[in-house]
Amino acid sequence: MVQSPFMSALLDGPPASASGTAWFDRLRAQALERANSVPLPTTREEEWRFTDLSPLTRLSFHPATDAVDIGAEAAHALLFPEAHARLVFVDGVLSSALSKLPASAGLHVLDLRQALSEHGSLLERHLGQSVTNESNVFAALNTAFLRHAAVVVVDPGCEVSAPVHVLHVATRREQAHAVYPRTLLIAGKASRCSLIEDFVALGEANYFSAPVSEIVLDADACVSHARLQREAADAFQLGSCSVKQAAGSRYELVNVALGARLSRLDIAVRHDGQGCDTTMAGLALIDRRQLADTHSSVDHAHAQGKLRQLYKCVVGGAAHAVFNGKILVREGAQQTDAGQSCRGLLLSDRARIDAKPQLEIFADDVKCAHGAAIGQLDPDETFYLQTRGLSNERARNLLTYAFAAEVIERIPVATLRSALAKIVLERTQEAA
Amino acid sequence: MSAVIQDLVNRPYEAGFVTAIESETAPRGLSEDTIRLISAKKKEPAWLLEFRLDAYRHWLTMTEPKWPNVHYPAIDFQDIIYYAAPKPKKLKSIDEVDPELMRTFEKLGVPMNERAALAGVAVDVIFDSVSVATTYKQKLAEVGIIFCSISEAVADHPDLVRKYLGSVVPTGDNYYAALNSAVFTDGSFCFIPKGVKCPMDLSTYFRINTQDSGQFERTLIVAEEGASVSYLEGCTAPKFDTNQLHAAVVELVAMDNADIKYSTVQNWYAGDENGKGGIFNFVTKRGLCKGANSKISWTQVETGSAITWKYPSCVLLGDNSIGEFYSVALTNHYQQADTGTKMVHIGRNTRSRIISKGISAGHSNNSYRGLVKVGAKADNARNFSQCDSMLIGSTCGANTFPYIQVQNKTAQVEHEASTSKIGEDQLFYFASRGIGAEEAVSMIINGFCKDVFQQLPMEFAVEATKLLGVKLEGSVG
Repeated sequence: MVQSPFMSALLDGPPASASGTAWFDRLRAQALERANSVPLPTTREEEWRFTDLSPLTRLSFHPATDAVDIGAEAAHALLFPEAHARLVFVDGVLSSALSKLPASAGLHVLDLRQALSEHGSLLERHLGQSVTNESNVFAALNTAFLRHAAVVVVDPGCEVSAPVHVLHVATRREQAHAVYPRTLLIAGKASRCSLIEDFVALGEANYFSAPVSEIVLDADACVSHARLQREAADAFQLGSCSVKQAAGSRYELVNVALGARLSRLDIAVRHDGQGCDTTMAGLALIDRRQLADTHSSVDHAHAQGKLRQLYKCVVGGAAHAVFNGKILVREGAQQTDAGQSCRGLLLSDRARIDAKPQLEIFADDVKCAHGAAIGQLDPDETFYLQTRGLSNERARNLLTYAFAAEVIERIPVATLRSALAKIVLERTQEAA
Repeated sequence: MSAVIQDLVNRPYEAGFVTAIESETAPRGLSEDTIRLISAKKKEPAWLLEFRLDAYRHWLTMTEPKWPNVHYPAIDFQDIIYYAAPKPKKLKSIDEVDPELMRTFEKLGVPMNERAALAGVAVDVIFDSVSVATTYKQKLAEVGIIFCSISEAVADHPDLVRKYLGSVVPTGDNYYAALNSAVFTDGSFCFIPKGVKCPMDLSTYFRINTQDSGQFERTLIVAEEGASVSYLEGCTAPKFDTNQLHAAVVELVAMDNADIKYSTVQNWYAGDENGKGGIFNFVTKRGLCKGANSKISWTQVETGSAITWKYPSCVLLGDNSIGEFYSVALTNHYQQADTGTKMVHIGRNTRSRIISKGISAGHSNNSYRGLVKVGAKADNARNFSQCDSMLIGSTCGANTFPYIQVQNKTAQVEHEASTSKIGEDQLFYFASRGIGAEEAVSMIINGFCKDVFQQLPMEFAVEATKLLGVKLEGSVG
C-alpha cells in the first residue's frame, strides 16, 4: 500500500526497541502492521462524514522521542494540590522530576516500563485489548509506537478518593511532532478511584496527538474519570477512550474539549456484566475555525445496565461541532435504562453543528430515550436577566456560561473545576 | 397470553391471491433495447425516451446503496420483467372492466363505482403498471384539475410533464430513482391549477400482479399558486414466493400558498413467517415547497413489504414553507424497514414537524432514519421531531438514526426519541376493567399511533386502525 506523506512521516519514526517482553513486542508489531494497512478515514465513511482530516493529512509530523525540560515554574501552574499521585509526560516522554509517585497500599501508579515488570500478567491481559482499534488507525499508531504510558492499578477493595493526575504537556518544537499519550487504568474488584487526564500545551505548539485511554473495571468497581482537552490552537488530537465494565461497576466520565484546531474523541463503553452504571457528560466549547468531534458508543450487552449521558456544545466563529452518540442494547439486555441528551448552542452565523444521536435496540423490556436540541439562547431568559438590570450582552454571556457550566461543575476536583470555570468564563465573554 | 399474541401476529396475509389475467410482457432483462421497447409501447415522445436513456446511462455508473440498515440477497436486475400490461381492451365504462379484475378489487375493498361514489373518492386504478379505469375525471376536469395516468399526461399534456418530471428527484438522484427514471411504466399525474381547492380526496390503488414483474411507478403532483389537494395512495399485493422489486418515484411540487397532503397506506406482501418472499419496496418520495407559504405533508402507514427503504422528504425552498411527516411503520416476522424523512430547510421562517412511530415484532428490524438540515440562509427555521419505538418481543430490533445538521444560529431544532413496550401492568389494568388482552393491545397500539392516524383522511384512518389491529393484536406477551 502506498502511504500518504502524512502516514509515511509517522511510520518512518524510529522503531520501538525491543522491550524484552515477548507479548508486548508482539502487540506493538501487530499494531504497526495495522497502522500500515488500515487506510486513513475519509468523509466518505459514515463514521467520519463530518470530520474532514485533510487539514491534518496535508501536514507531516515526526515522532518526538527525546525529553524536554519545561522548568518547574511552567509545570507548577498546571498542577493541582488535591492530586494523590501524578504522572507528567512532556511531548510523550515521562518526566520523573515532575511526577509524584507516593508509595501507597493498594494503588499503584507507574510508568509503562515499571508496570511491565511489576504487573506483567495484568498488562498482558488488558493492554491493547479493550481499545476497539481494529479499524482505528490512530489507536494502532499509538500502540505501535508505545514507549511511555501511565499505568494505574487499583487493588481489589482499595478506595482512594484523591485523584491520580496524568498530565500531558506539549511544547513548541522546531519540527512539528507526533505524540502518543497512553493511559491504562485497571480497577480491581470493589475498588474506587479517580483519574484526571489533562492535555495541555505550552505556547503555540504545532503537533499531532493520538491519545488512547483504556479503562477496565472489575466487578463493583467505581471509577471517576475527567478528561480535559486543552491542546494548542494549531494542534490536532485524535483520541480514543475504551471502557470495559464488569458487573455492578460504575463509571463516570466528564469530558471537556476546548483546544485544538481539529479534535476527535471516540468513546466506547462496553457493559460486560449485569447492572453496570455509566454516566457521561461532555462539553465542547469552540470558536474560530475549530472542529471538535465526539463519537460515543455504549454497548449494553447485559441486563439492568444504566446510562445517563449529557453532551453540550457551544459553537462560535466558524467552528464546527460534531456529535454522534450511539446506544446499543443487545438482545437479552433487558431492563436497560438509557438516557441521552444532546444540546447545542450556536453563537455565530458561520458556526455549525452536526448531531446524530443513535439508538439501536434489540430487547423489548427497556427504557431508552434520547433528546437533541440545537438553537440559540432563549430570548425570554435574556429578557428576564435584563429586567434584573443586566445589559443584553452580559445577560447573554451569563447564560452562555451557565449553559457550559452544567458540565464543568461535574469535574470532581475543586481546583481544576474553578480553573476550567475561569477559562470557560473568559471564552464565553470573548464569544459575544 | 403470549400464545394469543403469537396467533394474532401469525395471521395469514388476507390479500394474498393471484388474478389470472393475460398480460403482455417484455422479455426479462434491462438494456437500452428494453427501454426503447417500453417507450415505443407507450408511444412516447422523443424527449421522454432521451430522459429514460439518460437515466439508464447514469444508473449504469451507480452502485446499490449499502448504508440502509437492511439485508437482502443481491437483486438480479437482468431477471426482472420491466414491462407488463394487461391485454389492451377498449373500455367504455367501468362495467367493461374484466370481471376477474373487479373481483380482485372487491376482495381488497377498493372503493369504486358506488363505493367510490359513497366514499367520495376518485380512483385512478393502476393494475400492473397500466391504468385501467379512471373515475370522476370529468368532475375534476370541470374545475381544471388534471388527474390521469402519467402515460395519458405525457400524451395530452406533454409540456406540463416535461416541465416538472425529474425537477424534484433528478434522474441521477439515487440508484433506485435512476432505475425508475429509466424504466417507469405508469403512475399518476395530478395538476391542480392556480387557486383551485381540489373538491375531493384523490386516490390511487396500486397493485402488483404479474409474478416477478417489478413495478416502477412514477407519480407527479403539481399544485399551482394557492391550490390545494389531498392525495391518497393505498397498496396491497398478492402472495408470491419470489421477491418482487418495487422502486417508485413520487415528486410533489407546491408553488406559492399551495398545499399538498400525501397519504399512504402500504400493505404489500411481507413474506411468510420465515421471511421467505415479500416485496422489496425501495421508494424515493420527495416534495418541493417551491413557493412562499407552501406546505407539503406526508402521512404514511407502512405495514407491508419484506424490505422498506423509503424517506418521504420535503425541500423547504420557499420562505415560510412548512413540511410535515407523520409515519407509522410496523414490522413483523422477518420484515425490515429503514424509513424516515428528510427536512431540508433552505428558505426563511421554514418549519418542519416529524412524528414517527415504529412498532417491531417477531424477528423484524425497524429503523427510523431522518435528516433535519438547516442551511446557512434559513433564518428562524424551526423543527420538532419525535420518534417513538415500541418493541413487542425480545427478538426484534428498533433503531433510530436521526441526523441533525444546523448551520444557522437562529434555528431551533428539537429531537426526541423514546422506546417502550406494552407492559404487563398495562394489560393487567385493562384486564381488571374486563378488557381482554387482544383488545387491550389493539387499544394501546392505536393510542401509540394516534398522533399519526389523526392526520389520515377519514377512510384511510379506519383502514389503518383495522390493519394494525389485524397485524398485531395478540403479539404481546
